[in-house]
Amino acid sequence: MARLLVKLKLRLLLNALRSSTAAHTTFIISTFFAFVIAVGGFYVLALFRGLSASVDLTTVVFTVFAVGWLVLPIMTFGLDGTLDPATLALYPLRTRPLAVGLLAASATGAWPLANLVALLGVTVGLAVGAIGVLVAVVAVVLQVLFCITLARLVTTSMAGMLRSRRGKDLAAFLVIPIFAVYEFAVQVIPRAAARGGITAASFRGVDSWLGWLPPGLAAHAIQDASTGRPGIAVVRLALLAAVIVALGWLWIRSLMRALVTADTSTQSSQVRAASLPLARYGQRGAVAARFWIYQRREPTSLVYWAMTAVIMVVVSISSIVGRPVHPGVVIASAVFGAGFVGFFHANSVGLTGPPFVIEALALTNRRSLRAYFAGQNIALSVIAAPLLTAICFGLAAAIRHPMEGVTATAVALAGLGAALCLSNILTVSLAYPIARRTGSPMPQAAQGYTSYGLGGVLASLAGVAVLVTPVIIAGVLTSADQPAVRIPVLLACSAAYGVALAWAGVQLAAREAEGKLPELCQMAVRSTY
Amino acid sequence: MGELAIEVRALRKSFGTKEAVAGVDLNIAAGSLAGLVGPNGAGKTTSLSMMTGLLRPDAGQILINGLDVWADPVAAKAVIGVVPAEARLFERLSGEEMLEYAGRLRGLPVGEARTRVAQLLDVLDLAGDAKRLVADYSTGMRKKAALGCALIHNPSVLFLDEPLEGVDPISADVIRRLLTRLAGSGSTVLFSSHVMELVEQVCDHVSIIDKGMIVATGTTEQVRGGKTLQQAFIDLVGPGTTDEEGLSWLGSSSS
Repeated sequence: MARLLVKLKLRLLLNALRSSTAAHTTFIISTFFAFVIAVGGFYVLALFRGLSASVDLTTVVFTVFAVGWLVLPIMTFGLDGTLDPATLALYPLRTRPLAVGLLAASATGAWPLANLVALLGVTVGLAVGAIGVLVAVVAVVLQVLFCITLARLVTTSMAGMLRSRRGKDLAAFLVIPIFAVYEFAVQVIPRAAARGGITAASFRGVDSWLGWLPPGLAAHAIQDASTGRPGIAVVRLALLAAVIVALGWLWIRSLMRALVTADTSTQSSQVRAASLPLARYGQRGAVAARFWIYQRREPTSLVYWAMTAVIMVVVSISSIVGRPVHPGVVIASAVFGAGFVGFFHANSVGLTGPPFVIEALALTNRRSLRAYFAGQNIALSVIAAPLLTAICFGLAAAIRHPMEGVTATAVALAGLGAALCLSNILTVSLAYPIARRTGSPMPQAAQGYTSYGLGGVLASLAGVAVLVTPVIIAGVLTSADQPAVRIPVLLACSAAYGVALAWAGVQLAAREAEGKLPELCQMAVRSTY
Repeated sequence: MGELAIEVRALRKSFGTKEAVAGVDLNIAAGSLAGLVGPNGAGKTTSLSMMTGLLRPDAGQILINGLDVWADPVAAKAVIGVVPAEARLFERLSGEEMLEYAGRLRGLPVGEARTRVAQLLDVLDLAGDAKRLVADYSTGMRKKAALGCALIHNPSVLFLDEPLEGVDPISADVIRRLLTRLAGSGSTVLFSSHVMELVEQVCDHVSIIDKGMIVATGTTEQVRGGKTLQQAFIDLVGPGTTDEEGLSWLGSSSS
C-alpha cells in the first residue's frame, strides 16, 4: 500500500508537470524554491554554530517549519490528491496500511525532502561531537515526522470542512496573516537587523515557552547531547516520539471516521436581512447593494481590504520602526493604498464571473451601464474612504507627524477617485477571466492572462500616482498655511477632484462597455472563480 | 404556423477553425413550448447564447417578437428571460436577495419586485430557503432560483439551456409545470435538453441540431414520425453500429 500511494503521489506530480505550460512552470518554480529552502535553511541553521542563543534560534526555526506544515496543507487542500481521504474512501482498504501509505506519500516530493535537508543544518549549527550529530539526525527525522503527522491529522480531521464552502473561506482568510507575516519578515526584520535592533541575543529565552513544545524538544535534545547530557536528550526524543505516536493514533482514528463520513455537504448560512439594502434607489442602488453585500460576505473581498491595509502600513514601516523619519512615506502609503484598491477591483467582470450574465441581460444601454459602474463605485467608496483615511492618520500618528495625515488623506481621497476611474476603465478594456486554481485559496488570472493582471497593477499604480500629483503639489505648497483654512479646503478640493475622476471613469467605461457586452460576457463565463 | 416569436436565419459561429454553428434556421411560433435537442457539442448552447445576445454571431439574423437581437439589443433583451446551462448565480446573496436583485436590475419598482419575489419563491418551493445563501443551494434549488431570476420581469420569450440537468424529480416537476403554465399563458419557451421523455411530453415543437445545423424541425409529431422521440433522435444523429466485442469479459458469468 505504501509503495502504491507513493507511486500515486509521484504520478500526480508528473501529471501536473505534463498538464500545461503553466503547470510546468509552476512545478519548476516550486522545485527551485524547495531547493532554495533546503540550501538556505541548512546554511542558516549552520550559521548558528557558536552563538550563545543557538538553541533558541534553532527552536524558532523548528517551530516555523512546524507552523508551515500546519497551515500550508489547509491552504493548498485539493492540490495533493492523497491529502483528502474521500478520494480513497471508495476502495476496500484497511486503515493501518492506508495510514502508513498516506504517511509515506506525504513524505514524498521536493518540499518534504527540502524540509529534511534544511533541518539537517543543525548537525553543523548546534550538534557537537559524534553523539550530538547522531542525536541531531534522529531529532531532525522525528521533527519531520512530527510535522507530517500533524499536517495529516489536521487535514484529515478538517477534510469535510475543507471541501465545503466554509473551509474554502477559511483557507482564503489564512492569506491575511500569512501575507502580514511575510511582509513583516521581508520589510521589518532585515531593516531592524541592519540597524542592530534584532540580534541573535534577542531570541534568548524564547525556549522558556517553546522549549517544551515538540519542535523545542527536538532542538533541546541536540543541545543536551552536545553538552554531555545524552540521558536527558534521549528522554526528550522519547517524549517527542510519544507525541508523534499520540498524533498518529488520533490521525488514524480521524482517518477511520473520515473514510465512512466522506460528506461534502456544508452547514448552510442564513442571512438576517429581509431584502436588498438601497434597492429603492433604482439600478444604481441595486448594484451598490450587491457589491456592498459582496464586500462583507465574500472572503476574497475582505482579504483584498486587509491586504490594502497591510501594504499601506508596510510602505511606511521604515519610518515607523526606524530613524530618520521621512514624513512623505505616509503620502506614499496613500498612493499605494489607493492604487491597490484600484487594482483589486480593476477586473470586476472577471471577478464577478458567470453571474455577470444576469447583470448583462439587464444592462441594455449606456444609462444602465453608468448605473452599474456608479453603483459599484459607491459600494467600494463607502469602505475605502474611511479605511484609507483612518490608516493615513494612524500612520501619521505613528511617525509623530500628525499633520502629514491631512495631506495623505487628501491624496488618498483623490487617489481613490482615480483608482475607481481606472478600475472602471480597466474592467472594460482589460477584462480577463479569473480562475481559482486547485491548491490556491485566492483567485488568479486564468491561464494565458497573467500579463493582464500585471498590466492592471502597473496601470492602476502608475495612473493613480500621476493623477494625484496635483494634490501632492497642493499639499506641499500649502503646508505653511493656516491649518484652520488649509485642512477643510484641501480635503474638500481633493474629495471633489476624486469624485470628478470617478465620474469620468464611469462615463468612459459605460461608453466603451456598450459595444462590448457580449465580449465581456464571454470573459465572465470563462471565469471559474 | 401563427405569429413567430423566434426567427433565426442563417446563424453561424466559429471558434478558430471549428464551426460550432453552421447555418441554423429556426422558426418558433408565439405561445409554443419548443425543445432544442442534440448530442453534446452539437451547437445548442452556442445557438442559445447568440439568440439571447450573449455571444456575437459571425453571420445571421435573430428576431425575437420581430425585434432584431443584434440591431436593437435594448428592446430585444427587455422581452426575454434566460436560464443558462450552469445556473451560476451570485453565491453570496440569499435566494431572496438574488431574485430581488434580478428584478431591480430589470427596472421593477421595489414594491413590485418584492411582491413578485415572494410569489416566485413560493411557487418554486424555495420560500423556506429564501434566506439561505445561494452558495449553499443544491443543484435543483439553483436551477429554480435561476428560473425565478429569468421570470421575475415576466418575459414573453424564455430561453433555457438544459433546465433539468442534475435536477431531482420533485424540482424537475416544479420547473416542468411552470414552463407548461408559462406557454399556456401565451409566452414562448425554447429550451435545450437531453431528456427526450421530457421534450416528448411537454413540447409542441421540436428541433434537432447536429454538427451546428438543424437536421429536423417541426411539431413533435412530425419529428417523431411514428416512433418515440428517442428513437427518431438516435436514427437521425446516432452512431451507425456499436461494437461491444471487446468487453467479452464483462458480466457475472465471466471471471
